[in-house]
Amino acid sequence: LAVNLRKVQEVCCYEDASSKRHGDLEEFDEEQFNQEVGRCVLRVMVVKKSEPIGDRIVRFLTLFLKYASDKDNAIARGEDGDETVFMETPTSRLVSHIISLILPLLLTKDKVVRFRATQIIAQIVNTLDSIDDELFQLLRMGLLKRLRDKESTVRVQAVLGLGRLADESENGQDDEDSDDDSAGGVLEKLLDVLQHDPSADVRRALLLNLPFTPGTLPYLLERARDCDTGTRRALYSRLLPALGDFRHLSLTHREKLLRWGLRDRDENVRKATARLFRERWIEDCAGLQDAAEAGNGDQNKAAEPSYDALLELLERIDIINSGVEGGIAFEAMKEFWDGRPDYREHIRFEDNFWDELTPESMFVARTYNHYCRLNDDRKLISMVEDRMPEVTKFAFILQKHLNLLLENVQQVALAAEEDADVEDDTVQQEFCVEQLLHIALTLDYTDEIGRRKMFAVMREALALAELPEECTRLVVEVLRAICGSRPEGEREFCGIVLEGVAEVHDTIMGDDDADASFHSARSALSGDSTPKGKKSSDAGSDVVDEDKAIREIMVNMKCLHIAQCMLQNVQCDLEQNAHLVTMLNNLVVPAVRSQEAPIRERGLVCLGLCCLLSKDLSAENLTLFLHCFTKGHEALQTIAIQIISDILMAHPSLLGPMALTVSPSKNGDPSEDASQPVNPLLKPIYKMYSRSLKLVDAEVQTTGAISLSKLMLASSITDIDLLKQIVLAYFDPDTQANPSLRQALTYFIPVYCHSRRVNSERMAKIAVSVVHSMAERADDLDEEEEMVGLSVVIAQLVDWTDPRKLVDLSGRTDDKDSQSGSAHAILAEEILEKVLTPGCSREEKKSLFSMLGKLYINPGTPATTAQELSDLVNEALEMRSLETTAKNALNKLQTTLGKILARAESSSEERADGGIDFVEASTI
Amino acid sequence: NAGPTKRKEREPFEIDFAAPMSQAMADGLYTTAASISSITLPKAQWKSKSRNLLPDDKHFSSRQLLRLFLKPKAEMGSLRPSGGRLTAD
Repeated sequence: LAVNLRKVQEVCCYEDASSKRHGDLEEFDEEQFNQEVGRCVLRVMVVKKSEPIGDRIVRFLTLFLKYASDKDNAIARGEDGDETVFMETPTSRLVSHIISLILPLLLTKDKVVRFRATQIIAQIVNTLDSIDDELFQLLRMGLLKRLRDKESTVRVQAVLGLGRLADESENGQDDEDSDDDSAGGVLEKLLDVLQHDPSADVRRALLLNLPFTPGTLPYLLERARDCDTGTRRALYSRLLPALGDFRHLSLTHREKLLRWGLRDRDENVRKATARLFRERWIEDCAGLQDAAEAGNGDQNKAAEPSYDALLELLERIDIINSGVEGGIAFEAMKEFWDGRPDYREHIRFEDNFWDELTPESMFVARTYNHYCRLNDDRKLISMVEDRMPEVTKFAFILQKHLNLLLENVQQVALAAEEDADVEDDTVQQEFCVEQLLHIALTLDYTDEIGRRKMFAVMREALALAELPEECTRLVVEVLRAICGSRPEGEREFCGIVLEGVAEVHDTIMGDDDADASFHSARSALSGDSTPKGKKSSDAGSDVVDEDKAIREIMVNMKCLHIAQCMLQNVQCDLEQNAHLVTMLNNLVVPAVRSQEAPIRERGLVCLGLCCLLSKDLSAENLTLFLHCFTKGHEALQTIAIQIISDILMAHPSLLGPMALTVSPSKNGDPSEDASQPVNPLLKPIYKMYSRSLKLVDAEVQTTGAISLSKLMLASSITDIDLLKQIVLAYFDPDTQANPSLRQALTYFIPVYCHSRRVNSERMAKIAVSVVHSMAERADDLDEEEEMVGLSVVIAQLVDWTDPRKLVDLSGRTDDKDSQSGSAHAILAEEILEKVLTPGCSREEKKSLFSMLGKLYINPGTPATTAQELSDLVNEALEMRSLETTAKNALNKLQTTLGKILARAESSSEERADGGIDFVEASTI
Repeated sequence: NAGPTKRKEREPFEIDFAAPMSQAMADGLYTTAASISSITLPKAQWKSKSRNLLPDDKHFSSRQLLRLFLKPKAEMGSLRPSGGRLTAD
């Protein structure tokens, strides 16, 4: 192969060289040579895309042209000396000849010819510096037309050619006025194609061939979310590393790129992003630091690990915002430590490190600590233990910075005017303390002295009313960790936190004299702590009243928040813990009855958390939560669904058939019959879920769907009507705008169906009516709406009910009998019954028959079922005006059923035979 | 044996530059498309509503089905009956 090619090459080169030399001397005919080359080029035009030779010859051709034109130009320049003028040379004449030969071929019917023609032109454009102006215009027009070619392969080539042209126009905008207009048009068209071309290859080719300019950048970066994995990967692994210093990107772009890339659904994209972050971006910072120190930076060598560079990198990704819980910086740093052992070795946390903390330095410490401690590698764990201060010392550090934070907070609160600097400092200090607390969560509290010190510091911190919420949450969690997981530990934890709650209440509500800006007569937690119904004994004016009311709300919010954080971390029986019962009665119940909406909502969450710890409490309050759903606004509805669903998950027996033992007198119907077999809660709860799926609010809808998913997977809810509503919500065009819902259901439905046989059989029972509803939905669709085709719906339903996809759960006897389920047999029966029903529309029949054709009937199907199905098939075959596809589906099914029946018959005969043998044997 | 047949498949692809233009080749080269539209991408495909971008990723995972809304930290392995914990294939 290669030899052949080389021979052709040699012949060409030789002839070319001689002809050129002689052409100049006018001994050989240049025209003849050009004709010859042209003739050869035409031969290449029909070479299919899959032949690598075609590409190689094209490359050879352009290389040759480049080489020859350089030579020609050198000769011409030698004579003339002027470099700017476009000169006519033998090669330029040859190029013109070839182009004019190929241009008309851009419009041939044969796609191979169009492909090669576009390819050659694109390559010529990319390799040659100058082309005859007139031809250039034609060529540009030709390529632009091919940008909309039917074949994506042709479009890719057109893109490759035009990418260069767009580049030229950008560079030459100032001095080439004639081209400005048209060339700008090229770029615009290319950007349009970048967004809209249906072929990923075309988009990818463009991504890698467009010039980087401020104008194109947003379009290029947008491809980080391209629906094609390869395109996303190309962006992260090729475009972005080539882009140069990442600091030219805007802050939002950096954050988005990191977030999208590190959380991409494709592993390779994630890897490419991680590499980009820890190898390129850090290098951009380290390189600069290096250069500043040494005066000249070596661009290609990886810079020495530099702590300052790391700090700068974190600053450049806005750590205060991206470093919070759920932000991307934590994941980015995990990848960083993972891929940079040199930095792991380099980093030190000496005493002076802890004196002056910045958000960046603190984040380095926290992520390093987490990376090493949560690693299985013993070496990493001992490394971090060596470098981090021991618990006692750490507790002192934490105490110091907590106090600094408190000073800041108070300063902000007391400042008459807004002081941006102080506020900034406070935000930074808050961030630092959060990171310290995160580290505190991972420490080893077997050291008793350290444990006590930390316990005291946390206990003290909790009582500080001014402590920001996120810090409070972390303090509670650290306390939980310190107290240990034994039941006694939990009791100690509850006691200590509730002491803190009382103290918070006291310090604010009781401090009449010390705090001049607040007046309050009440002080004790044990008193009536709700704002409503309270009368201020020393109210001097409305302002004071109002102040006091706000004050009370804040105190209550703070107390409830602490209680909520605590409840999230306990598991004991509510009734067994006196602290919790007191809290429930003195803090939570009054809050639920509060007039203030925020207090009420927090109270409800706390009550819900209490319910998780007590089934009786749950039974008493489910109706209350249902009421919140019925009457509440969206946010409250979401909370109500969450609480109810969590309760049902924690106490599934509440939905059981047994009547409730506790019937709350205040909201229970007095005539309610306790012996009623149906659980009276079922109906309103089902109704709530059903309503939630149909609500417009995306949050409520998603919460409802996820809740149902959980309860259905746990087999707590088995209602097939709710299942149908879930499936309908999944397909409904209205939920297009709610990706959370769609993505949750994309996960849930197959898992549900394929995990248990009964589940898939439930799906089989509703499938036909889903098709019916979807067909109706499609009919009254608004013009604006886009809906998935019925065929897609059918394919999905068939897949979900496919008995072969059932995951075998070992140890379940009923599944072992007939190795895989019979959901498709049930579905077949449903379909047949539906088509036999009068009134089933023609269109619907057609859909259903196509569905029937895709079913897989398990060979293990019981003979009785097979017989019933067979009868139905016979009945269906007698229907008038059956289409061929319908007939085929029916016949195919009948054949399968016939086999099952035949085998069943023969096996029953065998069994009968065996029986006789046995009888005979025994008689002998 | 399979040797010869395999070799046959891999027969080198040759372009005979010397050969005269065959009729078929000429047809291929010089038959222009019946209309521009027949070789052009249908207009409907010129624009893509989504700009070929992914929808906002919500990162739904099985963890969300295994934890409580109110107590996100507590995984409830012990609370659930068997059979729920499976991942899609």
